[in-house]
Amino acid sequence: MTMDMELTVNGSAYQVSADPRRTLADFLREDLRLTGTHLGCEHGVCGACTVMVDGSAVRSCLMLAVQADGCDVMTIEGLERDGQLHPLQESLRDCHSFQCGFCTPGFVMTALAMIEEGSAPASEEELRENLAGNLCRCTGYQSIVEGVIEAVRRTTDQSASAQGAVEKRVS
Amino acid sequence: MKPPLFEYVRVSSVDEALDRLTELGDEAKVLAGGQSLVPLLSLRLANPAYLVDINRVGDLSHIANGPVVRLGALSRHRDVERSGLVAQSHPLLSATVKYIGHIAIRNRGTIGGSVAHADPAAELPTLLVALDGEIEARSSRGVRTLAAAEFFEGFLTTALEPDELLTEVRFPVLAAGTGWSIQEFSRRNGDFGVVTVVVTVAVDSAGRISEARISFGGVASTAVRASSAESALVGQTPSAELWKSAAHEAASSLDPSGDLHGTPQYRRHLAGVLTERALVEAHGRVEEG
Amino acid sequence: MRLVGAKIPRVEDRRILTGRGHYIDDVQLPFMLHSSFLRSPLAHGRINSIDVTEARRAPGVVAVYTGEDMKALAGPIKPVIPTGPAPEYFPLVTDKVLFVGDLVAMVVAESRAQAEDACELIEVDYDPLPAVVDYETALDPSVPPIFSDLESNVLVTRHLEGGDVDAAFKEADRVIEVELSQHRVADVPMETRGVVADYDDDSGQLTVHSATQSPQGVRIQLASTLDHPINKLVVLTQDVGGSFGLKINIFREDFCVCVASKQIGRPVKWIEDRNEHMIASGHAREEKILAQVAVSDAGDVLGLKAELTLDQGSYPGLPFGAAIFPSLIDVLLPGPYKVKGYSCDSKVITTNKCVYVAYRGPWAIETWARERLLDIVAHELGLDPAEIRRRNYLEGAEGDQLITGRSVSGITSRETLDRALALIDYEEVRSQQQVARNEGRCVGVGFATFLEAAPGPPEMRLGGGMFAGEQATVKLEADGRVTIITAQSPHGQGHETTLAQVVADEMGVSMDQVQVVYGDTRLTPFSIVGTGGSRAATWATGAVLVNARKVKEKVLAIAGAQLEVSPEDLEISEGIITPKGVPSKAISLAQIARQATLGPASLPPGTDANLESNERFLGEGITGSGWSGGTHACVVEVDLGTGAVKIVRYVVIEDCGRVINPGVVAGQIRGGVAQGIGQVFYERAAYDKEGNFLAGTFMDYLLPTAAEIPTIEIEYVESDPEGEIGFRGVGEGGIIVAPAALTNAIEDALLPFGAKITEMYLPPAKVLELAGIIEE
Repeated sequence: MTMDMELTVNGSAYQVSADPRRTLADFLREDLRLTGTHLGCEHGVCGACTVMVDGSAVRSCLMLAVQADGCDVMTIEGLERDGQLHPLQESLRDCHSFQCGFCTPGFVMTALAMIEEGSAPASEEELRENLAGNLCRCTGYQSIVEGVIEAVRRTTDQSASAQGAVEKRVS
Repeated sequence: MKPPLFEYVRVSSVDEALDRLTELGDEAKVLAGGQSLVPLLSLRLANPAYLVDINRVGDLSHIANGPVVRLGALSRHRDVERSGLVAQSHPLLSATVKYIGHIAIRNRGTIGGSVAHADPAAELPTLLVALDGEIEARSSRGVRTLAAAEFFEGFLTTALEPDELLTEVRFPVLAAGTGWSIQEFSRRNGDFGVVTVVVTVAVDSAGRISEARISFGGVASTAVRASSAESALVGQTPSAELWKSAAHEAASSLDPSGDLHGTPQYRRHLAGVLTERALVEAHGRVEEG
Repeated sequence: MRLVGAKIPRVEDRRILTGRGHYIDDVQLPFMLHSSFLRSPLAHGRINSIDVTEARRAPGVVAVYTGEDMKALAGPIKPVIPTGPAPEYFPLVTDKVLFVGDLVAMVVAESRAQAEDACELIEVDYDPLPAVVDYETALDPSVPPIFSDLESNVLVTRHLEGGDVDAAFKEADRVIEVELSQHRVADVPMETRGVVADYDDDSGQLTVHSATQSPQGVRIQLASTLDHPINKLVVLTQDVGGSFGLKINIFREDFCVCVASKQIGRPVKWIEDRNEHMIASGHAREEKILAQVAVSDAGDVLGLKAELTLDQGSYPGLPFGAAIFPSLIDVLLPGPYKVKGYSCDSKVITTNKCVYVAYRGPWAIETWARERLLDIVAHELGLDPAEIRRRNYLEGAEGDQLITGRSVSGITSRETLDRALALIDYEEVRSQQQVARNEGRCVGVGFATFLEAAPGPPEMRLGGGMFAGEQATVKLEADGRVTIITAQSPHGQGHETTLAQVVADEMGVSMDQVQVVYGDTRLTPFSIVGTGGSRAATWATGAVLVNARKVKEKVLAIAGAQLEVSPEDLEISEGIITPKGVPSKAISLAQIARQATLGPASLPPGTDANLESNERFLGEGITGSGWSGGTHACVVEVDLGTGAVKIVRYVVIEDCGRVINPGVVAGQIRGGVAQGIGQVFYERAAYDKEGNFLAGTFMDYLLPTAAEIPTIEIEYVESDPEGEIGFRGVGEGGIIVAPAALTNAIEDALLPFGAKITEMYLPPAKVLELAGIIEE
């Protein structure tokens, strides 16, 4: 019933077998115990389960685990390096971006993909549209928008001053 | 809300997919981007015995230019959205794809999946019907090409046979100088439109409308054309009054049903408003061109 | 540096930003089982038979419970605090289903997917019964009561009067009558409900991991209903992914999961899915008010008569049924205005719909109805809506009272209105509105004022008020660090940060020296509400502050004796105690704490080695009016083609007393406003005439996204900046008043069309109906 597969998650290689009906979200949470990825709706609307697969933000509730065979997956647990928060995480903390924290992993991964793709829009209106695939019930979004704008600013400054280091981190 | 039991079949070529579909018939469901199918599984509204996953099929992700933009069934919305080629040759297609869901959905969702799912409120079917686009379907029995109008048969229903695989979707490029517009009104950013309208307008050298297309999503069991309004436009000289009357004609030809997001009266009204706005915008683009 | 008042980054954020929060679905225990419920497809029906044979045989299934099975093991469910008529009911239904989503059977299996598979194999034969779905049917005396052990579908009636209502109406030039209704919505936290029960057969201890606002509330109700010894029942709560009032409830599923764990002897988990959540977790707000307002032609509001009807759905909520809400609504309905006579008659009815639960500001219809009525009156009299408010406001003078008798000395309603209108540039907006109208555009401006008793004026908090204040523990640990144990159980409010700010300032230590403990019933003081009702700002803060002060007194007594300085002459900074102005003579908190812990006998005579305090805070030292309040104002533009409403500007003038952490407070306000925007434009927990639920997914129940919520500008009136305990609740005001400001703005925009808004829900179709552009 289960299928053997190999994948990389947050830089670690796994050889595992998964039940085909298990979604990637359930697989990460239950099989790999990476419970930072949250399930808010399981039908692809709320975005809480957003992770990066091969560099793109995707909804892990809408992907079967077996479809991630051979893929490079990054979850919220993969941002912090050596106890050092990613500039995105620092910006979101400094801006009081979140409250209950349940939607947080999805927003972080959506924003991270934007920053790493270099596709963060310049206007706040467009940024809000790019974040519209993630639902938050606590904040009214303004603090999240401010946090992401701050993160884009900080990562842009950082990349201007230390291009090499950023490339290393992103790759 | 967990998917029911199914057997997972991963195929790596079109031929292998066709073999499996022939063998499994209507017990099988093709899994492409999964952005519509997986929610249906999780909600247990779909219960296929087999899922045939075509994501590893190598030669279905093409984005090809020409008089017709040909998109492989597995090309992802986001790739089409970000394609410079498409932006240049088919700006209407580029603009349309941006309305589909959100970025994470477009990263994974496929052109073929969206078309095969045949949601009458979805953007791509509305565009295909507007452009008289075509859908290529293959089976072990051969290849056939279906016109959009015959492909979409009803709510989530298409002319695809159980053993057929949708392999390519073809979007005819607009003739030079043709103006276009897509107007979608949705309750929230990223939702399906309550009503979506796609319009193209071409004007001849005498300044008269030589061709007009008006296609609606969200107002019937499939995307529909407003043929009478289209005919009424041809041969006319563009004017604000003309747009208004054509929009009225188009809207009154509709018989939409109501749901939580809009009453029938509202949908019909909205269709008229959006059509008028689309005609104005499309005509504006003609003059630009 | 004073921490109170500063935008200190939240303590909680590191873990939530790194994926290391610990929410209910993250609880994974050895040998844990999973459960799923079979729910009723009918709004009302009798169960003829139920066959679970196939389900019991299904792969992975460990147990299947029907209503009869469960009835033998638990219940009936009776609230530990009776609030109104209590029909008899059990964790699973035994004879009749009462709403779509009612609990029919439970499957426990090795995985959630297998439990769901087995649910599909259960066969139930129902006889459908006519569903009671609307007010009229519920109030029809010929319709049999939904609960056969109750006399009718009217559960509670209530009457409240203030002043001389007849005289007020006699004096009036005219009486304006309007019926105002708000629609059923839902709290919809991003984390659904969930519980994990872990029964240990050897010790008899039942450990319940619960996503709740009130672990102690869950504990006492579970112990009571399950007849389980309360000293062998522990409730643990860690991170909770939002609640907004929903998770103050104890749910029927909670009992089932505990029963199953006790029966099977293994941990059992239930995590609600979003579809269940929308259908069956709880709904809120379905109420209407028929109002008569007696006014003078000059715009004096003289009298108000109201009839309130509240549709509580089927089962009463636990621990508080909807029966208590009219008493919150009727007291506040006349608001901060000089009404001379008032009466309110309330009814709570029962219908075949989901359970009514508290939702952030559960009494909020009073603000919406009142502020809507003021605008309707203003339009009828040809007055500016600002003018009618200014004419009628209570000023907050000494002795000022609401017509319902609550003192409102010190309120700032007028100031908040004036500042809101200045901030939004009211005169300019009015002139721009005229320009827009001339161009065929449709612009409106609206505003509304609210008051929230958080904590309420002195007479509402005698002896600590309804819950007798709040208890907390503050403890100086052996290494000089400070532990706070709070009765709060936060779910996004940032209490680990704000309570630590307050105590760190008081104790003279840095933030990182203070740890806030919550969510463990072995440690935390009793509170039936936990975090709820905007109580934390005043009650929890006051409780930790007074206890920190006690600990500090004990510490300074020891230090004073050792340094031979009077304790009053000592100060603590960064954990070091020094005589004021003599920094060279010092002793650290850590030294004293170590000595008190390990060598208490060596302490100076007459000092107390127990460096802990856990007194109950009953409200002493609370300063200010006791009322949170404010005015919201907004400018909207209506697209008369599509019915879309664009919120051009949204401003808030908030008076919540002293602000502990501006980041936290702004977040509470903005989040509330966003929910208010959702409620007016997007969200509706819709039923059809047969009682079928229509909004079971996030495609149907629309939460607003970042693209729909505008920038929300906030300014504060810190009406009590130097107060002792001058922090007031700020959790609910945003959502309480936003719908009024928004609907007032839309009516203002649509005035040229003669629009009068009497229903709160304004999706685009409704907006065009109001404008007369399409037919209903």
